[in-house]
Amino acid sequence: MGSPKLNTTKEALIVNKQTDAEKASTPETIPASSVTRGTFLKGAAAATGALLAAPAASAFAASSSRMAAPFFPKSPAGQIVIWDRAGDLFQVFDATIPAFNKKYPNITVKHVAVDVDTKLPTTLATGVNVPDGAFYEDNNLPIQAAHYTDITKWIQPYVADILPYKLAVNTSHGRIVGIPFDLDPGLLYYREDLLAKAGVDPNAIKTYDDLFTAARTVNQKLRIKPIRLEQTPVSGQQWVEMFANQQGVSMVDANGKLQINSAPYSRIMEWLQRVSTAGLGTRVPLFSPADISAVNSGQIAFFPYAIWALYGIQFLFKKTTGLWRAMPLPAWTPGGARGGVMGGSSFIIPNQARNPELAWLFYEFLMFNPAGYRAVFGRNKIYPGGINTLLPSYKPALAHQLFENPAALGSQDLWNVAVSVAKEIPGSYYYAPWFNQAVSYFGNDVQLLLDGKLTPQQVLTRSSSDIQSKLINRS
Amino acid sequence: MVANVSRVPTKRRTAARLAIGDLARHLALLLVALAFLYPLFWVTISSFKPGDDIATSPLSLDLGNLSLDNYSSLLSAVPMGVGFKNTAIVVIGKGLLTMFFCPLAGFAFAKFHFRGRKVLFTLVLGTMMLPPIVFMIPLLLEMGTLGWVNSYQALILPGSIGAFGIFWMRQQISEVPDDLLDAGRMDGCSPFGLFWRIVLPVLRPALAALAILTFIDVYNDFVWPVVIINSNDMQTLQVMLSAVTTQINNAQIGTTGQSAWGEILAACALATLPLLVLFVILQRHFIQGVLAGSVKG
Amino acid sequence: MKALDAQRIPPAATAAAFFRARRWVGGSFAPYTFILPFFVVFAAFGLYPLLYTFRLSLTYWHGSGSPRFIGLSNYSFLLTDSLFWQSIGNSAFLWLLIVPVQTVFSVLIAVILSAKTLRLRWLFRTAFLTPYVVPLVAVAQIWLIFFDGTDGAVNTILHMAHLPTAGWLTDPTWAKPTMALMVLWKNCGFSILIMLAALQSIPEALYEAAALDGAGAVRLFWRITVPMLRRTISFFVIIATLGVLQMFAEPYVLTQGGPYNSTTTAGYHLLDYINNADFGTGAANSFLLMLLVIAIALLLPWLLRMGEE
Repeated sequence: MGSPKLNTTKEALIVNKQTDAEKASTPETIPASSVTRGTFLKGAAAATGALLAAPAASAFAASSSRMAAPFFPKSPAGQIVIWDRAGDLFQVFDATIPAFNKKYPNITVKHVAVDVDTKLPTTLATGVNVPDGAFYEDNNLPIQAAHYTDITKWIQPYVADILPYKLAVNTSHGRIVGIPFDLDPGLLYYREDLLAKAGVDPNAIKTYDDLFTAARTVNQKLRIKPIRLEQTPVSGQQWVEMFANQQGVSMVDANGKLQINSAPYSRIMEWLQRVSTAGLGTRVPLFSPADISAVNSGQIAFFPYAIWALYGIQFLFKKTTGLWRAMPLPAWTPGGARGGVMGGSSFIIPNQARNPELAWLFYEFLMFNPAGYRAVFGRNKIYPGGINTLLPSYKPALAHQLFENPAALGSQDLWNVAVSVAKEIPGSYYYAPWFNQAVSYFGNDVQLLLDGKLTPQQVLTRSSSDIQSKLINRS
Repeated sequence: MVANVSRVPTKRRTAARLAIGDLARHLALLLVALAFLYPLFWVTISSFKPGDDIATSPLSLDLGNLSLDNYSSLLSAVPMGVGFKNTAIVVIGKGLLTMFFCPLAGFAFAKFHFRGRKVLFTLVLGTMMLPPIVFMIPLLLEMGTLGWVNSYQALILPGSIGAFGIFWMRQQISEVPDDLLDAGRMDGCSPFGLFWRIVLPVLRPALAALAILTFIDVYNDFVWPVVIINSNDMQTLQVMLSAVTTQINNAQIGTTGQSAWGEILAACALATLPLLVLFVILQRHFIQGVLAGSVKG
Repeated sequence: MKALDAQRIPPAATAAAFFRARRWVGGSFAPYTFILPFFVVFAAFGLYPLLYTFRLSLTYWHGSGSPRFIGLSNYSFLLTDSLFWQSIGNSAFLWLLIVPVQTVFSVLIAVILSAKTLRLRWLFRTAFLTPYVVPLVAVAQIWLIFFDGTDGAVNTILHMAHLPTAGWLTDPTWAKPTMALMVLWKNCGFSILIMLAALQSIPEALYEAAALDGAGAVRLFWRITVPMLRRTISFFVIIATLGVLQMFAEPYVLTQGGPYNSTTTAGYHLLDYINNADFGTGAANSFLLMLLVIAIALLLPWLLRMGEE
């Protein structure tokens, strides 16, 4: 089955707290005209104190002033309906609305928790009850791209400071149609204590071959199958894409040409097969009871995954909290990139929205305005230590540490690790419109490989021909 | 009465064998009944247990930790009352339409000879062969054009007069003695009067069964409502239940990572309760209604 | 106006036409008005979407712009697509798992329930019907917990009895039987009721006569009960077959078609296209499914009647 809509990703999902009442916000009595973008930014920069740690990557420091002429009237007014998936992120965004209203007191935000993955496609198709903005996963973006508002001119001031791959993901036919949200670099999470017990030095793991060797040592000494292998087909396909991204490729190139049957993917498949046949892998579906039980019982020592696996480490795998550490992914070739992207989401503004400009102002605030992105990613009521399972994809936001070092990782400086990894991410990460449908072919075939039923070459050949004939040729 | 497949006893030994057969019968039925009832019983008990316990030790009969926590947590997060209200509206709306028009059409097919009766009835039967899922998307688009997305009309009207209902009612009504109807006609009753004053009263048990069956079907229907409902205030109970279960895929609630199975089961219990209560009260009517008009193929 | 006057039909003639028409249709227009609501509702919410589906199935449309006509291309794609045939195969296999078992089980239980010396009949009947009343979404949750691969009740019991366990809902080999079990559990109550109703209509006299001839319980069952039940069983098999073929909700709530599309039924498969905004292919799939159901609905009674000979 190709649709990931019924599979969760990183965010915990809280049961919908929406009431019928409109989410009217309380406008502050700041005269809007006195707050220009410049004064606001300066004020915000001065106000942030507690979260400033040693700047990790000065490479990401913002260019000084980026003041663009405002596109909109000084005091925009109206109501916008914003859709977000139910869960902790919904609550986080909800909590940012007062801050947004400080800047734009006359914009009312009606924030609705919706199962966006199921509702948005049909809503866009029927054109009924279309929201002004919605959260949407990147792999779903291309499918409905024709229904989004072209925001190229609005986002122009920020384009230079957005990570290139994320911008590419939000671009359709040369037009930018989405507002980038998160950067999800892949990391290798490992059990420090288990590795110590087995006498393995994590710093010696520089390539996937090294990881294999290390896993074998752990296996021999501790009798466990330490490498976590993903069993959910759709997450598995994203996972493989992470490995591919490290090597500078994705399932399609910039022109949409299929490139699965190639050396980088071959390397991935062969490594997966090696791990599997050597009995070094524990295969579990993402965040399932089996996953929880395998981790809690010490079966898994290596968890190569998106940064948001930390959600599991903090909240699900309770028995092992504090014992995990994070390091960059190994490289596929000596000296190769040790960073890759896995998944991610963005925001879209339907072109049938009633107030697209106001929705843009909302997302602009959340993503590119320090008060906004600090409220989202940094300390907030929902996450007192900040969201440590995601990074912003906006370089100035990456300049200063936004979340506290997680206790679940023994207060390791995760921020630095993640941001330095993010620097290495190759830019070529593209989602084809048929990515979700490909799960029935490629995603399933990868699982069959891990089942031992297909060889690496069979997976690549078969998936390639299936995708080419059934998905690409029919587009 | 009921058919009896046991032998007429002729010897003492067969009397004993009869008794054993009787015991065996009761035992077998008891086992089957337990298998049918246990899961529901389990849901009810477990809905009072903490979520983590449900996931890790589902079978434990440890009644130590029972509480209403799951229910309060569920109700504070999900406005189930809204679901009940919407379901009630849809059930009543659709139910009334079915209960009125199905017997009416069944009456027409059973007791009138009119041109094209056979063809038209075959058409009616034919609609039963159309899989409902086939209609989903075009119906959704149609509702979009009509502006009926997320409305009560969209929940009530499509499929409000089912072919099965007509088929069954026709079956029942054809058993009504013609003399009754002739007498009515001679009294100067209009065709509709015949229906209202003569047929319906006679049909009471079958009508009760139809009502209950319709109630169950409409109450439990969730595929179409999930597709057509767009906003939270129009959700029916099943849509809410469906949302509660699919949005808690990995059974986690909140940042504490606690298992949400408790809330899910509480939602299931709440959603099942009204129907179950109604069913237990009315089961005799339902069963009699079905048995009275035994299907003769 | 003069021209209109000349065209106006004299009232007597209209009345005559009216009465003639009424006689022609059988004496009353009433039955037509009685059945009209059904056809109106069906035309509006059944026929129209159906025609629309057919038209859509001949196009390429992904939700924006206008549909592009591509003829039977969607159909030729589906008919040569392994996933499509897999979904048909899944439905066929599920049929095998569900219909025979349900039929036999219902008949047996109904027979036992009909025993004269049975007490608490109403209790048993209610018990058997209870699962039918429980919402499918709730039943699926029960199944998800009970049959969970690691902590499920079923595996716990099997483990205690030193029997092999399995990933009931995660192993492609076991997902279908587990889902079939759910369908059986939920629906047997209703089929038992149908069989009970049919059993009632068998005249007592037949049994008494045969019993006097010295026939045993088993002989009575095969010689009298089964033949008399034949029509009901045929009817039930047809209804159940149509139900299994169209099965959508069960995979939707339980397995979402997985693992590896092993529980993607013919009815569920089209959801894939809908979710990916491939409406043209989805419509073609819907239409093919409909043709399949109609074909079987027409073929099956004929087959069953052949078996009756």
